[in-house]
Amino acid sequence: MAHPPPSGSVVLMDWYRSVEGKGFFSRIKRKEKRRIFGLLEAPPIPPLINVDTVRYKVFLSGKSGVGKTALAARLAGLDVSSVHYETIGIQTSVVFWPVKLRDSGQVLLFRLHLWDCGENALRRFDHLLPTCKEQLDAVLFLFSFTDHSSFDDLPGQIARGCDPSDNVVKLVVGTKFDLFMHTDVTEREVKAFQEQWAVPVFCIGGDACDDLQNVAPLLNTLAELLWHQDCVTVGAVPANESAVGDTSSRAGH
Amino acid sequence: MLQAGAVQLLCLTASSGVPLFCRGASKQLPFSVIGSLNGVHMFAGGQGVQLFNCDTDRGGRVLWKVFHDSVMLIAVTGQRSDACGNLQLRRLLDNVWNCMVLVLGLEELTNVRNVERLKRELRSCYQLIDTFLDIGKDWMGDLTHCVECLLPAQPAVLQDTLNAFAQAAESDFGCLLVHGKMVVATDKWWRLAPQEVVLLAALVRTLGGSACCDCPIFLPQGSPTVPHRLLRFQLLPGVNVCMLCGPTPTLQSVEGELVVRFWRPLVDMLHGCQALHQRCFPGSVGLHRDVLALLLINRESSRAVSSVHPAPSAPGAPSPIRRWELLRLLFTFATTRYFSQTEAPQKGEQLPPPEEFAPGFSDQPQQCYLVTDECKFFALQTPQHQLYILTAVSVPTFALRPLATRTLSTLTDSTGF
Repeated sequence: MAHPPPSGSVVLMDWYRSVEGKGFFSRIKRKEKRRIFGLLEAPPIPPLINVDTVRYKVFLSGKSGVGKTALAARLAGLDVSSVHYETIGIQTSVVFWPVKLRDSGQVLLFRLHLWDCGENALRRFDHLLPTCKEQLDAVLFLFSFTDHSSFDDLPGQIARGCDPSDNVVKLVVGTKFDLFMHTDVTEREVKAFQEQWAVPVFCIGGDACDDLQNVAPLLNTLAELLWHQDCVTVGAVPANESAVGDTSSRAGH
Repeated sequence: MLQAGAVQLLCLTASSGVPLFCRGASKQLPFSVIGSLNGVHMFAGGQGVQLFNCDTDRGGRVLWKVFHDSVMLIAVTGQRSDACGNLQLRRLLDNVWNCMVLVLGLEELTNVRNVERLKRELRSCYQLIDTFLDIGKDWMGDLTHCVECLLPAQPAVLQDTLNAFAQAAESDFGCLLVHGKMVVATDKWWRLAPQEVVLLAALVRTLGGSACCDCPIFLPQGSPTVPHRLLRFQLLPGVNVCMLCGPTPTLQSVEGELVVRFWRPLVDMLHGCQALHQRCFPGSVGLHRDVLALLLINRESSRAVSSVHPAPSAPGAPSPIRRWELLRLLFTFATTRYFSQTEAPQKGEQLPPPEEFAPGFSDQPQQCYLVTDECKFFALQTPQHQLYILTAVSVPTFALRPLATRTLSTLTDSTGF
């Protein structure tokens, strides 16, 4: 697998804080909360601005109770349930995320379709996992900071989750990072893992108030890796260099 | 007088009394009490007596029910409360059992090989079960066992689109729901048992704001052992189209190829339905402003329209949540005391006699009213409909009957419900 580009080399990581960025992000927000879009809706983009929408499918993988549904809700700006409930099948959510490319200065609207499936349902019904893995672009592997076994299970998960030949972006997310009193996984272990596997690791936790700042690093990196991978696939950049804008590959409407 | 109370729900294996789960009230009953509740039921069984329910000195109530000789559900309420009458608790136990079958299938529940495994599997049902235990509900299909509907201004176009959409997805079962209320459904969907339709609507409510879902489910009556796939797509926030499918098509193909193609042209109409979700019938139907809440049941089709916002109401009226609570109480009051039960009693189960005045009378009451210091109620039934209304205290009692009659005719004439 190709090495990921250095963080921030493809997209502007702090763009959401800039004046120009705020103009775009205001379209995915309503009254300081994230706006929820139905499948027939999309953020309104003024017609004169050339913004392409690129669509990707992202699968959330991890042990039961690790926080897949909560992470999906957090990324999508939905209310996070305070009680843990087992998800009874596949549930998907859509995240719109505007990104500005560093080199071309082009703005892209990422439509990330997050697929979340309850572990019990996956075990009981064989057809669910193939459905989740069909035409997949990225996988988020989750572990919980309060459960060391979920961290130990990561290599196995990655092996099960995707074939080495797949062109699938991989990210690791550690959940419940805020519960430091119960932390079972040390930062040193996380760092060692990151170096060994060359996979970015993110830590998520704390109040799920919908602050872009909470989710921006993760979503920007995910967008960057997805975009880079597409550029590599169409041959716009060699596998080990950062990407240059080329909207033709995944551009939808 | 009218207070809702919390219910605690216990689930045990019927043969050995091993607790499977407890839901409801925040403070769980001690294990010894749970054991005694199971013990007294088992003792009665040993004496050839079937124990259905009992009331305690302090106004609590316990209801037992065994399903398929495999699982026992017990509902326990702590305080005297009209909201926890036998009718509600009986419905609750049936609904909870149906939730369990819906998620796990009958096989898993009746053919228990490993209790610990079953306990783990049952966790998947908690979210759905909790929606039935939640006391601050803004719906009442769990109690009426009628499908709650929203009557749109132009049902024909929505119906045609739904039929075409379902057909394109190779499914006979499709429906359009707005905040859990049925707008239109295919003929086959309407042929599901009303309890199943209520249950599926409750399931869709639990899925909240997510975009799509693909859930393996069993139909408690229609298909308790063979799973189907429930596909659900959120067209607009709160507006969902659902289908029951076999192995094909995939969620991705329906989402990518069919959803936008069929529903985008109707987006304005769907926005119109979304705006009606509290009122539930078209704005062209004008009702008197003193009607604070209403429930209209079509007895033949087991469909219902309920609303706590039927008309813009005067300030000082009870809050919407309180109106739901009162409407549920009124329904229980009228159906347990005066109106005939809509469904046959369970095998071996004796329903309490409807009312003290009933013995010796062969008459069937058609109307009833109740006046409290908070509001007034009126309920009436015809061969086809039952109407329950909640009005402001300021309405003179003698005017309740004409108000209810007029409300019924206004609603049925203009919507054909």
